[in-house]
Amino acid sequence: MSVQTQEPTAAEVEREARTPVSARVMAGLRAQAMQIVLVWLVIVIVFSAMSPDAFLDAANFRNIAISVSILAVLGVGTTFIIITGGIDLSMGSVLVFSGVVSSMVMQRLGDGQGWGVAIVGILVALASGLMWGLINGFLVAKAKVPPMIVTLGTFGAALGLALVLTGGIDLRAAPDVLVDSVGFGDVVGVPSLVIIATVVVVIGIVALHRSRFGLHTAAIGSNAEACRRVGINVDRQLIKVYAMAGLLAGLAGVLNLAFFRSTTIAGNSLTNLDVIAGVVIGGTSLFGGVGTVFGTVVGLLIPATLRNGFVILGVEPYWQQVVVGAFLITAVYFDQVRRAAANRGTTRRSALSRLTHRNRKDV
Amino acid sequence: MSTPVYEARGIVRSYGSVSALQGAHFDVQPGEVCALIGDNGAGKSTLVRILSGAEQPDGGEILFEGRPLELSTPTDARSRGIETVFQDLALANHLDPIQNMYLGRELMKPGVLGRLGFMERSAMRDHGKEAFASLGATVRNFSGPVGGMSGGQRQAIAVARAAAWASKVIFLDEPTAALGVVQTKGVLDLIRRIRDKGIAVVLISHSMPEVLQVSDRVHVLRQGRRVAVYQAKQTNVEELVGAMTGALDGKEAA
Amino acid sequence: MRRTRVLTAGAAIVLASGMAACSSGGSADSGSSDAAVSGGSGEIDLAFIQGVIGDNFYISMECGVRAAAEELGDVKVSVQGPQKWDPSLQQPIVSSVVATSPDAILIAPNDVSALQRPLEEAAKESKVVLVDTTIEDPSIAVSEIASDNEGGGAAAFDAIKKLVPDGGQVLVIDNQPGISTSDARVKGFEDAIEADSDFEYVGVQYAQNQPAKAADILTSTLQKYPDLKAVFATNIFSAEGAATGIEQADVAGEVQVVGFDAGPAQVDALKDGTVQALIAQQPYDIGYQGVEQAVAAIKGEPTETKIQTGFSIITPDTLDSEEGQAALYASEC
Repeated sequence: MSVQTQEPTAAEVEREARTPVSARVMAGLRAQAMQIVLVWLVIVIVFSAMSPDAFLDAANFRNIAISVSILAVLGVGTTFIIITGGIDLSMGSVLVFSGVVSSMVMQRLGDGQGWGVAIVGILVALASGLMWGLINGFLVAKAKVPPMIVTLGTFGAALGLALVLTGGIDLRAAPDVLVDSVGFGDVVGVPSLVIIATVVVVIGIVALHRSRFGLHTAAIGSNAEACRRVGINVDRQLIKVYAMAGLLAGLAGVLNLAFFRSTTIAGNSLTNLDVIAGVVIGGTSLFGGVGTVFGTVVGLLIPATLRNGFVILGVEPYWQQVVVGAFLITAVYFDQVRRAAANRGTTRRSALSRLTHRNRKDV
Repeated sequence: MSTPVYEARGIVRSYGSVSALQGAHFDVQPGEVCALIGDNGAGKSTLVRILSGAEQPDGGEILFEGRPLELSTPTDARSRGIETVFQDLALANHLDPIQNMYLGRELMKPGVLGRLGFMERSAMRDHGKEAFASLGATVRNFSGPVGGMSGGQRQAIAVARAAAWASKVIFLDEPTAALGVVQTKGVLDLIRRIRDKGIAVVLISHSMPEVLQVSDRVHVLRQGRRVAVYQAKQTNVEELVGAMTGALDGKEAA
Repeated sequence: MRRTRVLTAGAAIVLASGMAACSSGGSADSGSSDAAVSGGSGEIDLAFIQGVIGDNFYISMECGVRAAAEELGDVKVSVQGPQKWDPSLQQPIVSSVVATSPDAILIAPNDVSALQRPLEEAAKESKVVLVDTTIEDPSIAVSEIASDNEGGGAAAFDAIKKLVPDGGQVLVIDNQPGISTSDARVKGFEDAIEADSDFEYVGVQYAQNQPAKAADILTSTLQKYPDLKAVFATNIFSAEGAATGIEQADVAGEVQVVGFDAGPAQVDALKDGTVQALIAQQPYDIGYQGVEQAVAAIKGEPTETKIQTGFSIITPDTLDSEEGQAALYASEC
């Protein structure tokens, strides 16, 4: 005897009759990440049609990739955090702070040049980011302060400390080797920044979808209490997730220093929102439990490509903000639709398709 | 009577000035389905929480396979083969049935890969499917999120998960409370199959007919004490309700 | 099916915005991307990258740019800019503009080193003119045009001297350190005030381009120095905030404010007495000359490496004169 759900409906029987291959393809395409890639391709096609010489150009795509690289590094960490149901507003400030301490240390080491100095600088930046990440994680997990409040606090604190350390004046000390190879160097024609970001993204994808660390991250976001009951140390996992994100923000800080040859203290105040928007557009739910790193990368590519295309087309800057905002709202809307459909069971149709197929008898 | 696999004697538990258990007794044999019934506030949930390690009693003793036992966490209980399914099912809705089954107990790859966090996904999938099948639980979709499945499916997955890991005792708190007729039958069948494997099943339920259908013995709790134990085949709904509400005085079954 | 919905939604949004771009009147032109023309004949594509959008100073500059474009004829202008003074926002804009291969780029760089490399790249194909702010190595540009900011700072001190002849404590509210223009103003002011023993300089505070912060700075400084006599606010937002702070603290008339820049809000403040004098730059002039230099470079004519534009002092008395009116910053062209 078997434990069955309710008797299959006519629609279900119909669906089971479809061939397995097409079903799998459909399932793949239905995945939000693939949908988002298609949206990005549509954007690329439209811009290419409207401005083929300027837009559809290898150098232009190179620039788009570079502009997304640092955000992608931040995006990997943020994806993990948002999957746990948390959020991180502090990443921009941690980036700046890490760049500041890194630059300060490198300036005082020897003559401030050479790979030895650069490596120390990188390690200092990573350590600084890790420190802020641990602070965030500890306050969220142990002190049980809501993530938004914690990271709002560290957003201010990290930036404030950076201002104290520098007197408000950007530091511009970075070894030439760092700027030339990491900031502006190429490896077989691909910008180093892009390669570093790609490596981070790939590691993020593997960690999230193949490792126990990623599985537990999603499990905690889905039902933290259930995790506690089965013996998962939820607090430790949360601290690890926030620490990882902090480490990545530190890495982003040194990449930023290498690329701009400046700690850009005044900038990066909107970085957190840009990254969170990318994560959400990419299909990760703000409510936690599910998400993809790949989606985040595409979600970051979309606003970057839009901005690039709009500048090339000469669209007023304000319109750019409006469109990116519209994308964000649309993405969250589709997330809601998906959640509602999942809650009602996959055998039911979504509200959207019920709306568009009003006359079909089987809905 | 042979040694109960799990026994509680004189359990006392208070929350501030409210006394939830005032010397409650309980015992269950291996391969037996025991129902634990009582009116609201009788202390059933408290007793289950204590026996599953989620809480500590203020007094009394617990014996596991004849030997005294002190549980400080649910993990302690689980390590002895005692599993519990609470009413909220404790399922991670975004994860699939296999991931839920192995949650917290994932099979890791050997060596360096395992320490890096890589899991034996296909092994877990195969063993998981086997575990579900051996209990007769038909899961329609092993790769979909459990959040999108019906109540009956989710209950079956939660119960089968506990049954797969439980080697001694499994506690089920109101497993059929939210289910329809067909799904309830499925869960009751599952309970019988678990019992047939030699595991002791403790069932809390408000439904007298179900209790009589599936249990071997019925313990009645009232006001924090066990007031009666009946053989299910020798009692009826009236008698049970009477014991629950205190219309009859408690009597121990033979 | 949801997939089609997402695609059509995405395409619709992009097309709609594209059409909005083409049909929106006012300051945006759809920049043509073909045929980067150089040399004497044909249309000149000129991209103006502002320091920050929505700032009256840069809007006035844009008016000057467009006026010059019209008068010189055959110059097509497209305007872009970051929504905040932020090099990480401005750099992608620069690289996108470079992708359109314009003949000339006028830019107010957000950071002296962050924009150095991107502008070096840009200078390979386009004539670069630096307006207002500058970069570490400006030799890649054909011309640098900015106000004589140090002189402006000194003039601000003169204005304060006239308003407070007996001397007293003076505060400076700046935007943020590290910006070449405001740094120069502060320096010019500090040099002047330190030379004058009647005045006590209580230091410089930074308002990060936020009027609210400037207001807070003013009110807290008043707590520490209740006898504060004057404030020099080095840019638009600092002056706005200082005026608000004075009203909040109810010391209008007791604390004199000299602002830099003459946007509508400051003019209002000048009219109702919360600000007593404005040092106006000549952004229109900077923009105009920027175009002139760019066109000259494209045509192979000689250019001026460094141009310093002047400033005017506007007081309630001189406000309504022709000179005064001409010095005000625009809100639209």
